[in-house]
Order: sequence, then structure tokens, then C-alpha cells
Amino acid sequence: MKLLTHNMLTSHVKGVIKGYPLLIKATEVKVSEVEFNPQFVSRMIPKLEWTALVQAADGLGQLNDLPNELVPDYEKNDEFLRKVHHVLLEVEVLEGCLQCPESGRVFPISRGVPNMLLNEDES
Amino acid sequence: MEEAASQLERDHVHSVYEKIAPYFNDSRYKAWPKVRQFLLDQEPGSIVADVGCGNGKYLDINDDVFKLGCDVCSPLVDTARSRGYEVQVCDGLRLPYRRGCFDAVLSIAVIHHLSTKERRIRAIKEMARTLRVGGRLMVYVWAMEQKRRKFEKQDVFIPWNPNPPSSPASSRRRGGSSNDSDGGDKHRKVKSTSSMADEDEDPAGAKDQRSPKDQRWFFSRSLDSVLDFGCLATPKPPARELNVSCAQMGEVGGPKACRRARGVALIRQFSSIFSSSANGSEEDVFGSTADLGGTRERSDGRPAGEREAVFGAIISGCSSVPLPDLVTHQRERLDGTGQDEGDVESQGTPPQRQASSESLQDRQVNRWGKEKPADPCLRYYHVFREGELLELIQNHVEELHVLQSYLDHSNWCVVAEKVQVWKI
Repeated sequence: MKLLTHNMLTSHVKGVIKGYPLLIKATEVKVSEVEFNPQFVSRMIPKLEWTALVQAADGLGQLNDLPNELVPDYEKNDEFLRKVHHVLLEVEVLEGCLQCPESGRVFPISRGVPNMLLNEDES
Repeated sequence: MEEAASQLERDHVHSVYEKIAPYFNDSRYKAWPKVRQFLLDQEPGSIVADVGCGNGKYLDINDDVFKLGCDVCSPLVDTARSRGYEVQVCDGLRLPYRRGCFDAVLSIAVIHHLSTKERRIRAIKEMARTLRVGGRLMVYVWAMEQKRRKFEKQDVFIPWNPNPPSSPASSRRRGGSSNDSDGGDKHRKVKSTSSMADEDEDPAGAKDQRSPKDQRWFFSRSLDSVLDFGCLATPKPPARELNVSCAQMGEVGGPKACRRARGVALIRQFSSIFSSSANGSEEDVFGSTADLGGTRERSDGRPAGEREAVFGAIISGCSSVPLPDLVTHQRERLDGTGQDEGDVESQGTPPQRQASSESLQDRQVNRWGKEKPADPCLRYYHVFREGELLELIQNHVEELHVLQSYLDHSNWCVVAEKVQVWKI
């Protein structure tokens, strides 16, 4: 699970109002190089929940000075875009789990795949 | 109703896909041109979700967008993951994504596996929720109106047989199919050495060798009547059979097993009625099922309610059952039109559970080898009539505005855009 995916994922347990962002508890994280495409990253940024991304990166020790606030004119800031690129696409959680911030429900991540299936009484 | 619907989908969609997942082979898959184009049309930097992605055949199209896929079938998701795709396991009725996060959503050959209208609507609403305003949804569902086959009912069970009997025609083609390459399918695997994975069959070539028993057939009936029947009046099958069935599924005891047992009873009901009419010669089967008009008197003297609810539909002389999510390379190459409707995926295996379990067993061993699935794999489909998908979206999902609706590869397709809905 890349952190870009994590940015989209939310808890969907029945009755939960604030299920976002999911708390990452990783036991295995992989960092691999992905080709940098500045245009792709700058187009992605407005679609992100920035605070959730920063929190997730911080939790995995991958913050790399990524600022808490989105910088202005980031489209032209190559250094900034590279940092975002790294966090979004190069950091992957392979093993661990995601936890719903409200209900505490835990969703396992195994071999990089989050299992978000709910039990019948939760959906 | 809801519980029975969900049980039916677990037994005849989810668990079937889990069983047949190992036999899915990319050589049989080709991205449909219109779906591919939909993906290519997305702006660079878009975020696209393929809901019901299976083994991920659409996830490699368009490197300029970020794609993620999800499916309820964990083995298929694992396959997609092994190819490096971003995938999750989840239920299409409860998507784990935040509102408005996607620029586009794909739903290819998924909604037709949901067994009630309410659930089909809910699945579309879920996808609409995850789209941003202005984002687009593409939905494909299997059409009832098809050139080469007739469905008597909209709710049908389609058998899957991973290894139809080999014929000179299919082995010949198999030899020639290795250079059938398509530039777009770069993730296609090398052909498996297992014969089970390579079941493409040339319908035209195989026709002549086909014995009457290999005639493909469906049985179908209205699902509403199935469910009513199942909840209210299903005669209990012998306990021994139920235990076997439950054990096969690794579910022993508890309410789950009971619910499952009801599902088993339900399908057994189908099967037994069906096979009872199959006890005679093949001609009798064709004759009697052709006569089934819903309320016609039948010779087996079954009670009226049962008789009324059951239909047997045979696709006679139709040597292939193109399925909605498949298209062959071979066919396209042969006829050159690119309009062929599908693939030969399943070989008609009459569900004669009652007829003679031992000889059925023997046959399955012969045909499927040691790894054969324990049960005939019957996949449930709700085939859509013309206009039905459109109606579903227009009348029930106010967040979506339909842009296009058309028939493609024996599927009804709708492309819709999410619109802002102002609520007071």
C-alpha cells in the first residue's frame, strides 16, 4: 500500500462518522525508487488530504522535512515535488494494519494488500 | 431477502471466483477498446479506481494516471498485486474510500453479479460517492439481448469449466496461438503449462466434435422467486448432504452454516428439478425444457409453485458461452472485426447433482484432473435488459448524469458524470 492509496482510504464501519485518516501500524515498510514525474505529482497535490499525508509519512519515519502546510507555488518547486513524490509513491507498507480512528477496528495489511472487508454486523 | 441475496452472492459469485481464480489466464483477456479509451481519456495526474478489478487487466493502461483496484476476491487481488498494482480487498457495497476522491471509476462486469435491484443501486451509489463532482463512471453489465444466445430469465447461473474436452480444433489453435500478441497487453503471462489454464476453444472448429452431452446450457429462473422460495418453503435436503456441503466450505456449525445450508438447499432444489428432467434422453431434455412456459403442466407432477418458478433454458447448438468479461484474441484475429462478444470460458456441465454422484465424480476427475473444484462452479448473473442500467442510474442515483449508453461486446454500458446535488 502506497501512501497515495492510504490518502484515499477511509474506515467504512457502520455508524462511524470520522473514520479518516486511518492510523497506519506498519511492521514492514519498503522504499523503492519510482521514476519522478513533476507534472504528475503537482497535479496530484490538490487531490490530497495534505494533513493526512504528512501524518502518515511522519508515522513511518519518512517525513524528510515535508512541511505541515502546503507550500505556495509548489508546481515550480522541484525540491518540494520530489519530497512529495517520495512520500506518495516510493514508500510502501507491506505488512501491518490500518486502524479506524473512531471505532478502533483494525484492517490487516498483508503482502502490501489492505483487507477492508467488513463483517456483516459492521456494514 | 437481503441476507439471502448476500448468501447467494457469496456462494455463487465470491466463492466461485475464489475457486476459479487460479485458472484465470491473461492469454484469454484483452482490454476492451472502449474501456481502454475511457482510461486513456483521463487527464494526466488523475486518480482512477477499478472497482471489481479481478486480476487487474485494466490497471496497466495509461501510465499518466494513478490507478487503484479493488475486488472482493482475495486470490484475484493477490494476482493483481503480484503484477505490481495498487489493490485492496473490499466489498463493492461498502467501498473504503473517502467521498469525492476519484476522477474516474470503472465497474466492468461487476454489477450483474449482484442479486437484487436494491443492491445493484447501492453499488452504483457507492461508486458515485467516491467520485469527485465532474468525475466519470463507466459501468459494463452483461446484456440479455445477445445475438447468439437467449436467456429465458434475467437471473441465471452460468457453469464454469476450466478444462473443456480437448478437440483437434482446440489443440491446433493452441499451437498457433503463441504468436498472437497484442502490444497493449504487456502483462500477459507466458502460457501456463497446465492445460486447465488454456481453455480457449474455437467455437466454429469445435462444434462438429461436440457430443450432445457437451451442449452448453443454462438454467434460470427469477431470483425473486428463488429467494421467496428459499425463505419460505424450501424442503430440507437430507442432513448428510448438508454436512458435506458445509464441510467443503470449511464452515461447520453456527448460524452461518445454517444460512449456507439454506443456500445449498436452494441450489440443490434447482439442480434436482433440473436433473430430474434430464433423466431421459438428451432429446427429452431439450423437448421438455423447450416446453417450459412457466405454468405449463409437467409430467413429473411437481407442485405448482415449484413448477412455476423453475425454468430450464438451453442454448442449443450454441457451442460457446461468451462471458461478459472476456474476449479472445483468436476470434478477433480470425474475424478481424474486433466485435466478437466474448470468450469460450465455460463448458456446459449440466448440474446433475442428483443423477449419479459417482459417475459425475468420475467425469470430473477425468476432465479436470486432480485439482478439480469439488462442485460444479455456477456463477450467478443478473443479465440486463435494454434500458435497465440506464433506468437504474437515471431514476435511482441522483448524483449521476448519464452521458452515454450503448451496447458493446454483449454488454450494456453507461458512462455517467457526477453532478452536484443541492440539498436543502
